[in-house]
Amino acid sequence: MALSDNAIIGYAETKIVPRSEVDIWELAAEILDDIIGQTGIANDEIDGLILSSSSTGAGNNFWSQTMADQLGLELNFCQTVDIGGSSPLGAVARACAAIDAGLAATVLCLFADTAVAENNGRPRSYGAEWTTPFGYLGAPAAFGMLSRYYDDRFGLDPHALGKLAVAQREHALRNDNACEKLRTPITVDDYVNSRMINDPIRLLDCVMPCDGASGVLVTGRKAAEKRGLTRCVVPVGYGERTNVGARSSIVDPTLTGHRVAGERAFAQAGLTPADIGSFHPYDDFIIAIMMQLEMLDFCPHGQGAAFIHETDFQFSGDLPLNTGGGQISAGQCGLAGGGTNLVEAVRQLFGDGGPRQVRNSASALVTGIGGIPYGRNWNTSTVLILTPNA
Amino acid sequence: MTRLNDLLDIERPLPPARSFSAPFWDATREKRLVIQYDRIADAFQFYPRPTSIFTGRRDTLEWREVSGRGKLFSYTIVRRARPPFRDHEPYVVAMVTLDEGVNVMSNLIGCAEEDLAADLPLKPYWHPLPDGRHLLLFEPDR
Repeated sequence: MALSDNAIIGYAETKIVPRSEVDIWELAAEILDDIIGQTGIANDEIDGLILSSSSTGAGNNFWSQTMADQLGLELNFCQTVDIGGSSPLGAVARACAAIDAGLAATVLCLFADTAVAENNGRPRSYGAEWTTPFGYLGAPAAFGMLSRYYDDRFGLDPHALGKLAVAQREHALRNDNACEKLRTPITVDDYVNSRMINDPIRLLDCVMPCDGASGVLVTGRKAAEKRGLTRCVVPVGYGERTNVGARSSIVDPTLTGHRVAGERAFAQAGLTPADIGSFHPYDDFIIAIMMQLEMLDFCPHGQGAAFIHETDFQFSGDLPLNTGGGQISAGQCGLAGGGTNLVEAVRQLFGDGGPRQVRNSASALVTGIGGIPYGRNWNTSTVLILTPNA
Repeated sequence: MTRLNDLLDIERPLPPARSFSAPFWDATREKRLVIQYDRIADAFQFYPRPTSIFTGRRDTLEWREVSGRGKLFSYTIVRRARPPFRDHEPYVVAMVTLDEGVNVMSNLIGCAEEDLAADLPLKPYWHPLPDGRHLLLFEPDR
């Protein structure tokens, strides 16, 4: 059994909103309802449920079980994946592992959060002792220090970063599910002139916290074929690395776990960066996109800006980037935000991209970023390569 | 010259001490900096942890007093903060590389924006907390 013996047979996504008027369970129900309608898989055939972290629901000690209860699912396998923004990709990998192990046959991977409307998150880590007393704001400050380090070492080109921001915003204009507030065009000058939050992190570098949900349904490829679900998406490569540089006191924050995770995913898929049809990197900050281009070997370390200037990232271009707008221009659904990029990649491979359909739908690369460790880059890096059923 | 805020007048959230980090906080009462050292790896670690990041073992660790001198690794100028830091922007959150080879997050004081550059030499500045402990800040070592 292997990762690629499994398939994503359906996907769903709610509209992303700045503050949801409905409860997290209702957002989750929208996903279940849509996926049942799309695949014809009945609710009593879903025997596995994997949830992502959620700053809302995971505050409940029995998060995945309560979700199963609310949705009326009777399960053989039920769990939450708590690797932050990496959780949605982690959920797909764990769904495949569970199916391969015979623990479940059809697994709903569900990502929901209403972090803005009802945030129960109370992280207990190094923060209260070692960062909070210094007025450290979390992610924007971490990315501020990281960007300053990158600038000292390689030079930071705001115009290159602005080009990424503009491409994603253009895509949000073509995505009805994107947060309405973010569906206004921007220019590179708008990016460069947006106000500083944590130098050199600007307002237009940052995600806007929103509420929303998404999900995918995973089953064995043979089972999918038997049901005539030939239009599906196959995970062909996956890599995951947590706490890169764990045994070092000083870690270069421009080197991330995506290097190792990417090498594993590409090797497993038998593909190279040149083969990738569309790129859906986790984007909590714009610079993270550039760093991932470097770590995944689209270009050498430190030379992301040159690559960005010579590449067309529009949905119609050479390397379509976060064609739904990414989290930065569609809105970040709290800890479920990684599902936004995943579902868009799946949608493109299903050929459902509509006014933003990419030309090359032979493969898509999705990544995840989860958690911020002490003074480094991020805790977990994930890389998932998808292809259509072929 | 753009003066950055030293944040010496605000009431900061008091850091809790975990079961394993108490020696660090106790030493700050005497304005002494002690950090964890691993005898097998011959290397220091920060922040204080319940085990050695080098060996995974507990009895290879000891606390050693260090000078607190170091240099600037990276920094960000905070221009938007939450209370109690709000309205005290701009200020600096920095990573400081101590001479012993660990990175420590803190604030820089007595700095203008123009002073800030990678490798700026720094020394400790002990800021009193209301409970008798001190918070380790850094100032330029001019």
